[in-house]
Amino acid sequence: MIHRSLNVPHLVACLLVGATAVLLCFGALVTTYDAAMAVPDWPATYGHNMFLFPFAEWFWGPWDLFLEHGHRLLGALVGLITLALAAVVWLQSPKEASLKSTVRGLVVAAVLLVVLQGLLGGARVLLDDKTVAKVHACTGPLFFAVAVAIAALTGRNGTSAATGPSIESRVSLGLLGAAYVQLVAGAQLRHLDVATVAPATFRWLVAIHVFGAVAVMALAFAAAVCCRGQASPGARRWSLAIAGLVCCQVALGIGAWFVSWGIPSGWLPAAWMPSEPLAARSAGGAAVITGHVVLGMLILGVAVALAIATGLFAGRGTRVALQPRPPRDGRPERAYA
Amino acid sequence: MIKARHNIVLLSATAWLLLVAVGCGPTPSASFRPNMVEATKQRLTVDQERQVATVLLAMFGTPDDPVALPETGLDESKLRLAAGPVRSDIVGRKNGLYREHCAHCHGVTGDALGPTAAFLNPYPRDYRPGVFKFKSTERADKPTHADLVRVLHNGIAGTSMPSFALLPEIQVDALAEYVKYLTIRGETELALMRAFFELDDDAGGKLPETREFLVYETLTPAAEKWRAAADAEIQVPEMPSDIDLVASIAKGKELFYGDKANCVKCHGVTGLGDGQANDYDDWNKAIVEVEKEVKSGAAKAREASTAGMSPDELAEHRAQLAWLEKFHGVLDGDALAPRTIPPRNLRHGIYRGGRRPLDLYYRIHAGINGAPMPAAKGTVPPEDIWHIVNYVRSLPYELDGELGADRPMVARDRF
Repeated sequence: MIHRSLNVPHLVACLLVGATAVLLCFGALVTTYDAAMAVPDWPATYGHNMFLFPFAEWFWGPWDLFLEHGHRLLGALVGLITLALAAVVWLQSPKEASLKSTVRGLVVAAVLLVVLQGLLGGARVLLDDKTVAKVHACTGPLFFAVAVAIAALTGRNGTSAATGPSIESRVSLGLLGAAYVQLVAGAQLRHLDVATVAPATFRWLVAIHVFGAVAVMALAFAAAVCCRGQASPGARRWSLAIAGLVCCQVALGIGAWFVSWGIPSGWLPAAWMPSEPLAARSAGGAAVITGHVVLGMLILGVAVALAIATGLFAGRGTRVALQPRPPRDGRPERAYA
Repeated sequence: MIKARHNIVLLSATAWLLLVAVGCGPTPSASFRPNMVEATKQRLTVDQERQVATVLLAMFGTPDDPVALPETGLDESKLRLAAGPVRSDIVGRKNGLYREHCAHCHGVTGDALGPTAAFLNPYPRDYRPGVFKFKSTERADKPTHADLVRVLHNGIAGTSMPSFALLPEIQVDALAEYVKYLTIRGETELALMRAFFELDDDAGGKLPETREFLVYETLTPAAEKWRAAADAEIQVPEMPSDIDLVASIAKGKELFYGDKANCVKCHGVTGLGDGQANDYDDWNKAIVEVEKEVKSGAAKAREASTAGMSPDELAEHRAQLAWLEKFHGVLDGDALAPRTIPPRNLRHGIYRGGRRPLDLYYRIHAGINGAPMPAAKGTVPPEDIWHIVNYVRSLPYELDGELGADRPMVARDRF
């Protein structure tokens, strides 16, 4: 009989990742439907305490209000889970000293980021400022990446046996950076202030986003190739997953352009052009656009897992403590004290 | 572990640098963009451009705070719903509809210079000249409010203009009103800029600051056309209910290839839109003409020798060079590269102005304002226009034989 102890930090971290994913979906929908200013005050909601806002008014109210208030409630929930995670990590630290400090450092970063993100969300509403919205949109994925990193590092099999920088770890790191830059570029496009932006700026952003997509795709396939023979099973799995996700993401990106601005006539044979105009604000269109954003965040999360699996946190000549170890008397060693 | 920490620090620093890079500086407030192509064409000075901007600000306000003088006939409450940044008001009603749905392509000024505009083909509509294509009124008239609402509701097939049928009626209505506001503003701006040309020498380059000039001579004519549109709908004779469709199509075909309607000239003998295809619409034509003027002016300036010029001539020559340089910059930043307008391929069954027989009747009767499509009114009797409509509607389904092989003889075949 195999005895397994309850890895509470990992469970809470996984809960945080799940809650953050839902929060990001809501956030993406808020932007898709331009619902950020659906509630004109903050931290109150139409004068009510945020948590005491009438449920029926929220749930059955206008779609914009449902999204924005839901986003705020989920944000508060994620904040609470982050605090809970900080508490359990401090109480139940990993045995291995270096990993302990890494996880604790990441948890501190998560707490700081979640507080900052909440304040940015509030500032975006109070100032009604698109620049703040852009920073808010860039901080969200950063927090998600940190949450995924904590979940991966607190897991039993989440880390690498890598003993130093390898080609796959470098490629994975590059992929992680490129995936984040793509999200930043995407956030600039999504939160564009159409009233003040210069058309040339938009063209540059589109170019950066398109070239970024090519770079992410190239790095994703490079990672899949590098991890094929040498890396751990986890790294191989994540690298294949990310290659598949990036392909879907490119298709969704083209779809997002199409549902937003149609296909310029002349780009496709006339017979392929749709005979009916697209419907603005259709549920299908919103799903494609929002799906593109959410998949981008998912790619970032998988890139974090891949980077960790290929040795992002593995120091030169050291072995990470949470590597699966040979059973001792039929029982795996407990990673947490 | 040192390496690991180094990685974390590097990643965090990069991420935050990116954040700082994207987030530096507060968002500037929205403002209408002046019509620089017209201002440069009219050789306005900076002071004159400022005069126009001041008058427009007083008469029309800003994109965040629009003003509608009673003479415009516009409903300011609808404008307020459509204008400004996207936000919900205190009763939960969404404001900023134009910026949410339209400004990305049409631009906040309605000058078709929105961020996406350059990527679209055809380009989005520039409202400022006050020319609209798809309407139920005569060629030179403005569309009715219902026409604008219909275009918003149905979208424009074959272009990037989507259908806003999923928006509440009140929002579509507000958007149509805002389009009229931008048009009246744009036409007033054009009138003001052109007014400098007609000023007396003793005016000292200053526009008259009288209500009579500013409101009654510049704004009212633009606004009056919108009011008149409601009474300018084309009177369409009903299509006979007992019409023999086969005979009507045959008659329509004859007219299509005939000298009177002469649709074949542009739409081609096959109806594939492969006739004359090197023409421009009015918006692109204006830019093409300006570009030609700048090019020929630059060529002349290059050829001119300054050796024998008097000081006055030299000053004029230098002013001309400066103007050409300025115009060159304006065309780069305030105009899109001109594109020709291909005639419609009638065999796809995609009709931009609407697929109802009535819509096709309007297009054939009045032509398409701003486009090379001429009006059949006056050359083709109204009842015969229905025959052309029936023939055009049959073209996507015409499967017998080679395309256009069974056509009647057209004018150019006779020579």
